Amino acid sequence: MIEVIALLVVAALFAFVVRKRLAVVGTVTLAALAAAIIVVVLLPADASGDVLELPWRMTELGRLATVVLLGTLCLLVLAVWIDEPAYNFFPTALAVAAAVIAVLMLTTPIAIYAALVVGLLVPVGSFTFQVNRNRSAEAAYRHFSFVALGGCLGITALALSASLGRDQPPATFVLLVVILVVAFALKLAAIPFHTHAALLASEVPASALALYFGVLVPTTFIAFAQILVLSGLLPAIVQIGKVQDLLLTLGLASALGGAFLATGSTELRRVAVYSVIANLGQSLVGIATLSGPGIIGAMAIALVSGMAATQQLLAAGTLERRAGADRPSATTAPLAALAFVVGGFAMIGAPPLVAFPGHFFVELIAYSYSGWMGTALVVATLGVLVAQLRAAMAIFRTAPDRWRVERKPIAGIVGAAVFAVLLIGGVQPDGFLQPIAAFADEFLRALHPL
Amino acid sequence: MLLLAIVAVATLAANSARQLRYTAVAFFGVALAAHLIDDGSLAAAHIMISACAGLVAAAVLFVAARDGRFGEDPGWRLWIATVVAAATTAAAFAFLRPATGDEINTNLLGPDPSGVTTEVAAFWLLSSGIAILLTARGAVRGSLGALLMLTGTQLLVRLVPGPQLALTLLLSWLQVVVALAGAFLIVNQRAAREA
Repeated sequence: MIEVIALLVVAALFAFVVRKRLAVVGTVTLAALAAAIIVVVLLPADASGDVLELPWRMTELGRLATVVLLGTLCLLVLAVWIDEPAYNFFPTALAVAAAVIAVLMLTTPIAIYAALVVGLLVPVGSFTFQVNRNRSAEAAYRHFSFVALGGCLGITALALSASLGRDQPPATFVLLVVILVVAFALKLAAIPFHTHAALLASEVPASALALYFGVLVPTTFIAFAQILVLSGLLPAIVQIGKVQDLLLTLGLASALGGAFLATGSTELRRVAVYSVIANLGQSLVGIATLSGPGIIGAMAIALVSGMAATQQLLAAGTLERRAGADRPSATTAPLAALAFVVGGFAMIGAPPLVAFPGHFFVELIAYSYSGWMGTALVVATLGVLVAQLRAAMAIFRTAPDRWRVERKPIAGIVGAAVFAVLLIGGVQPDGFLQPIAAFADEFLRALHPL
Repeated sequence: MLLLAIVAVATLAANSARQLRYTAVAFFGVALAAHLIDDGSLAAAHIMISACAGLVAAAVLFVAARDGRFGEDPGWRLWIATVVAAATTAAAFAFLRPATGDEINTNLLGPDPSGVTTEVAAFWLLSSGIAILLTARGAVRGSLGALLMLTGTQLLVRLVPGPQLALTLLLSWLQVVVALAGAFLIVNQRAAREA
């Protein structure tokens, strides 16, 4: 594991040095990411070891998530290389890949959290561009503040819970778990902690936004679930209903609030970002139900939403760039417009895409939990559907006399690749859901230790 | 206890400095004093790694200032941050101190195996950092707040049983990344302001 991370870190340093030579940096970045994916795929099942006494383990979920997230990174790098050269992006992508692998393989909660915070801070360099003309520096600063605050609070809560004896009063553990949940909510941009995400959505480059919402936000969600399992806090959560209620409230607020904000948005990027927030709300509800189907659905939604966000944000960036000062329109980039629309199918969890089982499981378990909760999640999905339909209608409002494919249709190609993967996953869902189910088993065992 | 006093005074100095370079120097003082607090489990390798990270973080901020005059006037934020930090430290210590029933025995210069000094310093740095970060107008004080919080976090992680060397290394790298990201933002915000 350390070899893969070292490879990516060395490649990131090299990419930083040669970042202005696009052909070299693009090739090196893609080669390093591909090599990392191959090594992870070839690692034997349940491979484990330790680095400086820090244990790591390759789980089925870790392997799946590595392939999905690093694959998404490859698509992003390809898009930036060919369509929207941004020198800082390549070393950033490699450093993020190293952090993602560390998060997915380490088994010590504090180490997972520290690696996650490093990964979340690295993109600050990609968020800022043309600082005299926009508010990207302010957006990057807000992101920095939220991550630093959430990061330190989270590590503190984990350190205290590990150093305190189990004979402490319940109120102490409630406080620590609440701090941990809030720390993750800050990093996941869950409503009402979403203000930095709103500014990021409108000010930073689309590729950097896709890196955050497509790769880092799903990684954060997986890290949250893993840390809950590994920290030993789950039995305390079960015994004290308040924490579960807090998670459910945060999840429902994000699902409904995200859908509501997406419905009211006129910018394509905001529609995509708020749709992700709404879906993460559903994922939080899934985790909060502390049930097998809920956990499987939650993890599936988080991973698929990341892929759909990448698809939609790259397409939105292309449409905005091609439209210039005008409103984004399919006439200037029809393939990118199509990619945005099909990305919407994944966002709402439409069959036959692999996005469907996740939404189905979470909504089903929410109904079995309580009628009004299930209804709230269905309403949230409907809100996202309306937002996506409005965005699609706005893009296709005008039609040219003759459709012509845009030059360098990279956003369209990325969209087609993501759609194909989601479709194959939908036709053959076992390959996608089985590793998540294995993690759900582990989660449930940690919930009721013998 | 002496190191705890140095941590408190250096934090106030960093918080009240109007020039970023003074802030950076004061932060190094905070980091060094905090990592030298002896709770009976101090190892030379850990101190070296943490002190190096503190030095690098302070140097990064120092270089980001570019000249001796650049900085941010804290104004009323200094008092808010200090009052909030003092109150929160007391509350956090009372609420989150392990209920071991051990006798607390602190002295001016020697080690404190009960861990009380480490915990008070950690809570002070955490609450000061949060107060500074939440009231900051820009990246100058935002970076200071983040670095103070992280130093407090490092102290608490020291009390956790487990692979200490690896965790110290990881958190030291995190501190350097926080300083680099903060410096990058400082330079960019300054460029935007001066344009």
